[in-house]
Amino acid sequence: MTNIENQIFSSYQRNPDLYDEIYDKNGKIKKVYQKLFNLYGEHSIIDYVSLNNKAKSSFFNQGITFQVYGDNNVQEKIFPFDLFPRIIDPVDWDIIERGSIQRSKALNLFLWDIYHDKNILKDKVVPIELITSSANYLDQMNGVNPPGGIYNHISGTDVIKHNDGKYYVLEDNIRCPSGVSYVICNRTALKKALFGVFNHYQTHTVTNYAENLLELLESVKPKGVDIPNVVVITPGMYNSAFYEHSYLAKTMGVELVEGRDLFVENDFVYMKTIKGPEKVDVIYRRIDDQFIDPLEFNPDSVLGVPGLFAAYKKGNVTLANAPGTGVADDKAVYTYMPEIIKYYLNEEPILNNVHTYHCSRPDELKYVLEHIQELVIKPVDEAGGYGISIGNKLTKAEIEKVKAEIKASPRKYVAQPILSLSVHPTYIDDSESFEQRHVDLRTFTVLGKDKEFVLKGGLTRVALKKGNLIVNSSQGGGSKDTWVLKK
Amino acid sequence: MLARVANNLFWMGRYIERSEHVARYLNVNYFSSLDAPNLKSQDRQFVLRSMLFMVGDPEKEPNKFLKEEDVLYKIGLDPNYSSSIINNIKFARENANSARDLISTELYEAINKFYHFVINYPKEVFVKNGLHEFTTHVAEMTDILRGKIRGTLLHDATYAIISMGINIERATQITRMINAKYNDALLSQDGENERFRKSFEWTTLLKCAESYDMMRRFYKKTPTSISTLEFLILNPNCPRSVMNSLNQVNQHVKMLNPEKRYNKDSTVFLIGRVRSEYEFKYIEEIDEDIKSFIEDILKSLVDISDKVDEEFFNY
Amino acid sequence: MPREFEITYNAENVYDDWVYDAHWQFLIIPVENESQYEVEIEFENSLFAYTEESINGFGFKTLRIHPKKKFKKISFEAKFKFKKEEVDPYNFYLEPDISIAYKELQDFNFKITHERFLKSTSFTILESSQEQLFKFNSSLSIFDNLEALNHWIHKYIKFTTGVTEVGTLLKDVISKKKGVCQDFAHLFCALSRTNGVPTRYVSGYLDQESGFVGDSQMHAWAESFIPGIGWKGFDPTNNILANTNHIKVSHGKDYNDCAPLKGVIHTVGQNKTSHSVTVQSQQ
Repeated sequence: MTNIENQIFSSYQRNPDLYDEIYDKNGKIKKVYQKLFNLYGEHSIIDYVSLNNKAKSSFFNQGITFQVYGDNNVQEKIFPFDLFPRIIDPVDWDIIERGSIQRSKALNLFLWDIYHDKNILKDKVVPIELITSSANYLDQMNGVNPPGGIYNHISGTDVIKHNDGKYYVLEDNIRCPSGVSYVICNRTALKKALFGVFNHYQTHTVTNYAENLLELLESVKPKGVDIPNVVVITPGMYNSAFYEHSYLAKTMGVELVEGRDLFVENDFVYMKTIKGPEKVDVIYRRIDDQFIDPLEFNPDSVLGVPGLFAAYKKGNVTLANAPGTGVADDKAVYTYMPEIIKYYLNEEPILNNVHTYHCSRPDELKYVLEHIQELVIKPVDEAGGYGISIGNKLTKAEIEKVKAEIKASPRKYVAQPILSLSVHPTYIDDSESFEQRHVDLRTFTVLGKDKEFVLKGGLTRVALKKGNLIVNSSQGGGSKDTWVLKK
Repeated sequence: MLARVANNLFWMGRYIERSEHVARYLNVNYFSSLDAPNLKSQDRQFVLRSMLFMVGDPEKEPNKFLKEEDVLYKIGLDPNYSSSIINNIKFARENANSARDLISTELYEAINKFYHFVINYPKEVFVKNGLHEFTTHVAEMTDILRGKIRGTLLHDATYAIISMGINIERATQITRMINAKYNDALLSQDGENERFRKSFEWTTLLKCAESYDMMRRFYKKTPTSISTLEFLILNPNCPRSVMNSLNQVNQHVKMLNPEKRYNKDSTVFLIGRVRSEYEFKYIEEIDEDIKSFIEDILKSLVDISDKVDEEFFNY
Repeated sequence: MPREFEITYNAENVYDDWVYDAHWQFLIIPVENESQYEVEIEFENSLFAYTEESINGFGFKTLRIHPKKKFKKISFEAKFKFKKEEVDPYNFYLEPDISIAYKELQDFNFKITHERFLKSTSFTILESSQEQLFKFNSSLSIFDNLEALNHWIHKYIKFTTGVTEVGTLLKDVISKKKGVCQDFAHLFCALSRTNGVPTRYVSGYLDQESGFVGDSQMHAWAESFIPGIGWKGFDPTNNILANTNHIKVSHGKDYNDCAPLKGVIHTVGQNKTSHSVTVQSQQ
């Protein structure tokens, strides 16, 4: 079945221990990839190299770049883009989509609860420390009813496929998840470079994101507003995600504002236009909680708007996402997601959580100590990957040291099985060939009043360094166009 | 439209236009001096001083020897000289960046390409033998940008603001060139009025403004001081004239403020007033005291720009 | 008969350079509650900038000012008139079985309800050795323990101005044993919370006519929630319970939640600020 003349894949090496997205266990191309595999096979690697370069310069000329600060100059880099798309069949997508909605809704109910009656704490489903020790829990949000009852209007769910072939969620990003503009740019770039492959597949569009986002943002308008005025607020053009902010504003057809363009008067928010003040009703904010209002939060912030929070609390403006949502994308909350889903929705989780062992529980502590080589040990209160030990990479002495630390303060640690992200053929510049690279997928879910939307596609991020599991762009990650096939 | 973004668009227009005029001034002066009919106009020091004069940074030491490479680098590519071409384009792009959601993808992409061309242009090539290629390319890119502005933006407030920036800047730069060439013509006349009137510098001036062919067609005679000034200042049909620019500004400001009510504090009023003044001017009046005239018009243009700022960019 | 109060709050800010953009938010209005009512507000500033009333994130009334022109100097004057009932802090019923209240403190739902005033903050955090500074005596009621704590702090810290400032951490206050009313109140909050009693920082005015200690600006004390009794005010600076002379403005976890004046000012160079408060009352 494998096409031997397919020179583009002739040197592709498969590691049998890894889950390859396009090959099955027997080394055969999976059905959904068959046509694409053959179509790409019609090109020589030289064609491919030139197409790849064209796509890159297209990104560069469009200014879809992020800035890297060097010693004495600023360099513009493009977010590396791979021309070989990832395909998700309708069956898998159904799971991902339903799972993303389920998690977003459960998190929304969780947020409502912990800022109101706190029943989930009283019922001891999650520990009280989740809010008392979280820097992201905003006391000011207690008792506030956000318009439409929505906190996490926009969620980015990071999903991976493990080598058991199942999808697992690694993280729920519900502060200011970014990356959606790349989904659309990747699609545009791929269409330009390889338009011929598209008519062989029935792929869902991704360009409808902005109109859906706008519709759902309008659905959570403040009370008494007829046609809401929506804006996107950005920290400014030097922010690494500025391209995305301007892209979203432009495609929604709304203003992109900075804090200095807005002011608050009598608890209403206005923007300064060439024709005088204009009232603003819904703000899609891409500024973190601490910076939105210097009079209420970080007083040194020059990005925010003095008085904005008072206007919000009075119900005169909607902020999306709501202030204080950050408490629910804590690592600690993640570990309770299955319980949170069951508690609020009375459903089984559709997407798997990576199982978490709490060392504070004696039986789980015992398991962790016995199976430390198969586990990742994480401190509960550290962010940004600090203090993480990966069991199978530790020396004997290090294992003993980690064990001793866990025993000394078991409450401080959790452990998770070591996951293996699936791999996907990815074009590698240095070797001018396709190689296996680890991928994940970020989906984008938008919650509105009584309505939700999941972008049928997503950002497939690729760890471009061989063997690397970290897909972040700051760590040399790239991305792929992601095709969700129609049923 | 946000006031801040309008300000960005206005200055984007101004910087685009400014970079073109500076580039062409370098190009035309440098190359037409090579075979100029008199020794003074051929003199390299004379040409370099004229360039510095035009960008507003005249060399004050009369006997100082200027190095060609230094002057060209300073005006063309010096990142530390705020009026250099490279900085004009940098500022144009920066202003475009913060208004990125309002301008078309096509326009942004063209500005971005322009920026990358300039930023990556090798310094050594530029000062040795790249002047022609570089400045020609800059001028051509600005034409492309104006084309994108006209052809890929809705002709609404965004377009009006950019166009106002472009035209106020065009009038300003044309006036600055007139000023520089007037100064050159004075310096090369050696006290002879007739020589001033028929100076080779007027031809150079028209070429700097890309108006030489149009002018020849219109007057069918060798340019003189009076015919050149009449053409570049007062002729409403010359697309580079001050009059034409003022007409454009007038037309665009009305898109922003269609109000017809008498309001002497408005931008519309001020522009209309300045425009009418030049519309009915005798060239002889200008010819009597060219220097004061140039000062007056530059002041009027600054006043208009300040008024725009006050009315539309502040709140 | 309620007492009639009049409070005058003055502030003046002087800057070396022009200030083009400034926002101020004042949290200085006496709060309306059972004993304080009919609050009348007069607020003026030297630039005649418009004053907005608003409500901050914790539900307290604020006054906000955003001058529209540049300036180098601005002064504010606020006058508050209101009525206040005589408060007898000892007028409450004390349940003879003291164990009931202690049991309530241990109740899980109680801890969740009062979570905000049980956790420590950057201003009220103690080093673990310092948590032992004051231990409750379980044979006494919670109220008696808190009164003892009030007394203990009053003796432990010597009221001294100029030693600490707004940002001084509690551990340094403890080692210096000197401080002002904010420090007294923070220490009370910290030690009371360590013993499981929900406690909040209170900012307000003190009628100093009767010889109480405070400074010429705003005063600070604490309120603890005692099961069966409710919120009770303790003023460790003066070793008394909050009474008629304590005029409450706001409460919060610590000073940060109650800062009387917040400003966002874009200027270079130095500035000088001065405040003064006078409290007058008549029967």
